[in-house]
Amino acid sequence: MSGYGREFNKGLWLENPVFRMVLGLCPALAVTNSVINGFAMGLASTFVLVCSNTVVSSLRNVIPSKVRIPSFIIVIASFVTIVDLTMNAWAHQMHKTLGLFIPLIVVNCLILGRSEAFASRHPIFRSIVDGFGMGVGFTLALGVIGAVREILGSGTVLGYPVMAEGYTDMLVMILPPGAFLAMGVLLGLFNAIDRARS
Amino acid sequence: MKGMGRLIVVLAVICAGAAFALAMVYEVTKEPIAYQKKLEVIRSLDAVLPGMPIDPDNDFIDLPGEKDQDYRVFRSTGEEGVVGVAFQVIAPDGYSGNIYVMMGVLPDGTLGGIEILSHAETPGLGSLIADEEWKSIFKGRSLDNTNFKVKKDGGDIDQITGATISPRAVSAAVERGLKWFETNRETVLAAGEGV
Repeated sequence: MSGYGREFNKGLWLENPVFRMVLGLCPALAVTNSVINGFAMGLASTFVLVCSNTVVSSLRNVIPSKVRIPSFIIVIASFVTIVDLTMNAWAHQMHKTLGLFIPLIVVNCLILGRSEAFASRHPIFRSIVDGFGMGVGFTLALGVIGAVREILGSGTVLGYPVMAEGYTDMLVMILPPGAFLAMGVLLGLFNAIDRARS
Repeated sequence: MKGMGRLIVVLAVICAGAAFALAMVYEVTKEPIAYQKKLEVIRSLDAVLPGMPIDPDNDFIDLPGEKDQDYRVFRSTGEEGVVGVAFQVIAPDGYSGNIYVMMGVLPDGTLGGIEILSHAETPGLGSLIADEEWKSIFKGRSLDNTNFKVKKDGGDIDQITGATISPRAVSAAVERGLKWFETNRETVLAAGEGV
């Protein structure tokens, strides 16, 4: 059982998709101008990750290796479309905010990466745990970037004001350059923590 | 070429499975999505013509607007005819992309209010046009009592600090909308019964 725990935990820190493997940067930079946007994108990606890992893993002995990439992409694209339609129907406002970046989950290399590197070689349950761990790690990373940008750029967290009266919003943080600034500083920070631990 | 058939069959089966799943999901979500879109229209109509019930499915007319574009004019009809109309104008000259504005107009040509339907202005600057505080300054204005330019250009509309372009664009679009209403007032109000 501890094996599964490790499979899950590695996504959170050791192999965190954003901060350690530096995968899936397009959504990580583009939609993280607030905590809630980052979280929503993370959850949508997690759903796709878990589902595609499940299907890919269960078909791993059927799919010939020559056509494995197209097969994975079809599976992933289908789940992304499902997320797109579902969010449009029941989370309309969020769907409008994230816009184009939902269909773009298809090209998030994190998802194809997990299918190829993990799910196509491991049993179903292990793959589900892996997808879930990676998804949670991705969601947390996007949430952290979103929090940093929202606090500095809008002075709020989840829409509630947190900065002292008279704080001037650093507008640049919620604009595209702010994504790179936040990402760079956080990456450096996590590398420093990692170095200190080892 | 050995094994080619297997490749084709496997891919085809996967595609068929995906198509089937997507068709199912599409069927299930079709209704709620249509409903959400309608809800969005109703919400914006309610914002620009507060307290005036509108049936967006039935009480509207399509008229030629500016630049070959049709305006769909939603109408709120009371006992004494049309009490308010609402239609969507486009401000093409914002800071980034088109700004879609729903505007509500009373029969005498005063504004019931405006609502920003969608925009891509700079967050924190131009995006403030979508804030209630700014939108509300249009309420009760008409071509007679207002110069629809921003204050910087010598008009009556407040610009937003750090963002003059977006308010200027929206204000100009609203003015064009009001002028269009002025010209087409007869048709818009008179068509009275039905659609």
